[in-house]
Amino acid sequence: MKITKQARRDAKQLFRSCLLNGLLDENRVRQVVQQVIAQKPRGYLAILSHFQRLVKLDVARRTARIESAVQLPENLRTGAQTNLARRYGPGLNVSFMQNPDLIGGLRVQVGSDVYDGSVRARLAALAEGF
Amino acid sequence: MSNLLQEIEAQIAGVKTSVAKQNVGAVREIGDGVAKIEGLTDAMLNEMLDFGNGVTGLALNLEETEVGAIILGDYTSVKEGQEVRTTGKLLQVPVGKGLLGRVVNTLGQPVDGKGPIKNETSYPVEKIAPGIIRRKSVSQPVQTGIMAIDAMIPIGRGQRELIIGDRSTGKTTIGIDTIISNARLNKAAEAAGDKEYRPLYSIYVGVGQKQSNIARVINVLEEAGAMPYTIVVVASASDSATNQYLAPFAGCAMGEWFMDNGMDALIIFDDLSKHAVAYRQVSLVLKRPSGREAYPGDVFYLHSRLLERSARLNEKYGNGSLTALPIIETQLGDVSAYIPTNVISITDGQIYLETDLFYQGVRPAISVGLSVSRVGSAAQIKAMKQVAGRIKLDLAQFRELAAFAQFGSDLDAATQAKIERGKRIVEVFKQPQYNPISVEAQAAILWTAQNGYFDDVAVEKIKDCQNKLTEYLTTRKSALMAKLAKEKALSDALTAELKAAVTEFKQTYK
Repeated sequence: MKITKQARRDAKQLFRSCLLNGLLDENRVRQVVQQVIAQKPRGYLAILSHFQRLVKLDVARRTARIESAVQLPENLRTGAQTNLARRYGPGLNVSFMQNPDLIGGLRVQVGSDVYDGSVRARLAALAEGF
Repeated sequence: MSNLLQEIEAQIAGVKTSVAKQNVGAVREIGDGVAKIEGLTDAMLNEMLDFGNGVTGLALNLEETEVGAIILGDYTSVKEGQEVRTTGKLLQVPVGKGLLGRVVNTLGQPVDGKGPIKNETSYPVEKIAPGIIRRKSVSQPVQTGIMAIDAMIPIGRGQRELIIGDRSTGKTTIGIDTIISNARLNKAAEAAGDKEYRPLYSIYVGVGQKQSNIARVINVLEEAGAMPYTIVVVASASDSATNQYLAPFAGCAMGEWFMDNGMDALIIFDDLSKHAVAYRQVSLVLKRPSGREAYPGDVFYLHSRLLERSARLNEKYGNGSLTALPIIETQLGDVSAYIPTNVISITDGQIYLETDLFYQGVRPAISVGLSVSRVGSAAQIKAMKQVAGRIKLDLAQFRELAAFAQFGSDLDAATQAKIERGKRIVEVFKQPQYNPISVEAQAAILWTAQNGYFDDVAVEKIKDCQNKLTEYLTTRKSALMAKLAKEKALSDALTAELKAAVTEFKQTYK
């Protein structure tokens, strides 16, 4: 779908209106989508499509994914969550995943930042070094 | 063995250190050597990106939600959704004397099958040009070995002189002749153990050229023995537009190393028209706004920042220099097109080659009226200044008078003499390709022509007479030529000696 400059601008404006104290408000997002569908302004599908992309990117930016080879004990989980909140601020959605391919250690991804302390990454770095 | 163990230990220790932060993104779109990447929030402009599997890219567009990157090398292996990492490094190429005699691609990797290149230093491809504090005005000549250029459009070390003309008018030949001439001078100085001579190293950058043409150029340079002093950077027509866009910058970085280390280098960009076309392609695929003839708005800045890197540094900064000979191909002699006017305004003069002259047999087909060197005369040696001072004027007058003479009216003796002299000067300036002439021979020949010693020789025999005179002077009067080369000026004594030699030659010449 061709998204015009005007549609991008409108989507950006809608996205800004969904922010509450710098964080995306889910209720506002739902309201905006319902209102746009109800009113059907010119190029509304393109607007919604770009709006969805902006929301997706913002959600990705505020999502922390913590991967580990084995399931983490509760105290480690809370420790990781507090450390991430201290570094990236409040409003972070933290999800824990199990990935045996890592062999050991942790891989943390917050938006496009990656902290890879897994054994797999270290072995890869060693292989590259040689 | 202990070294090896230490090395392994160091490597393992390096891996043990704390986890470093990386910035990653995912390929959203890929095509025509350009990738759109989501994420990469910390990417810097012109930063190298790692696509994995040895594929690298260059971040050129930093947008609100994505990064536009050009891929260096094979982009067909890059897939949608693939992970991309920032590297924190700018694109670099190997530099140094180890590259001399080699043929490399845009990334400085050898393509001549002569094994890996030994280098210790790398330079960033994009670099800020030297500022005014580091510079000095042009004062040393670049001997092209082409009489018409050395006499009328002299080039100095650190100058940017454009070579412009239609297709197949001898633009590349001028560049190759200059490389060969300087390689011969370097070799002669090395053989004579001349410590004062500053060798001039050459870099030939082929952009968007046919591979057969590049192979021919390399062959000519090898046959002439110029390769040991030359680096050839190749981004042929079959290379991606991104490689073609970066090749001149890579070549320039290699030349800058010589300049920064107090040496002199010459770089030939063959040609910047195709470079502009490659940049237009990259820009259009990156969806940058297009302007005149669909070129992006910063096509002037593209060439100005490239050519501004050629400079003559002052003694405090090593006294090195980088001379640039960019080449531009015009369409049907139209110098007022977009890219030609841009590059004409950036450079310190131009050598304009005309198709008509080329087919009339005037080769090199230099149009004296339209060619100019804005700073080179300061670098010309005194002997050349003495003999060539009036030649440009004489030739201009000859062309004007020759146009009148076509009407067939009777001409007075003075006008006739001027036309006859002009015809002979035109003949003297004709020169076969890959056959550079030494500056002292040029000065002697021009002195002979200026002083009327060729006036009684038929126009069609001028070339023969000139060749025989050159041979006579270099073999039988080598002491005189050596003195001329050393003194670099025509003193009264030297003039008298030259006069005697030419008179003696004329008595024997038939």
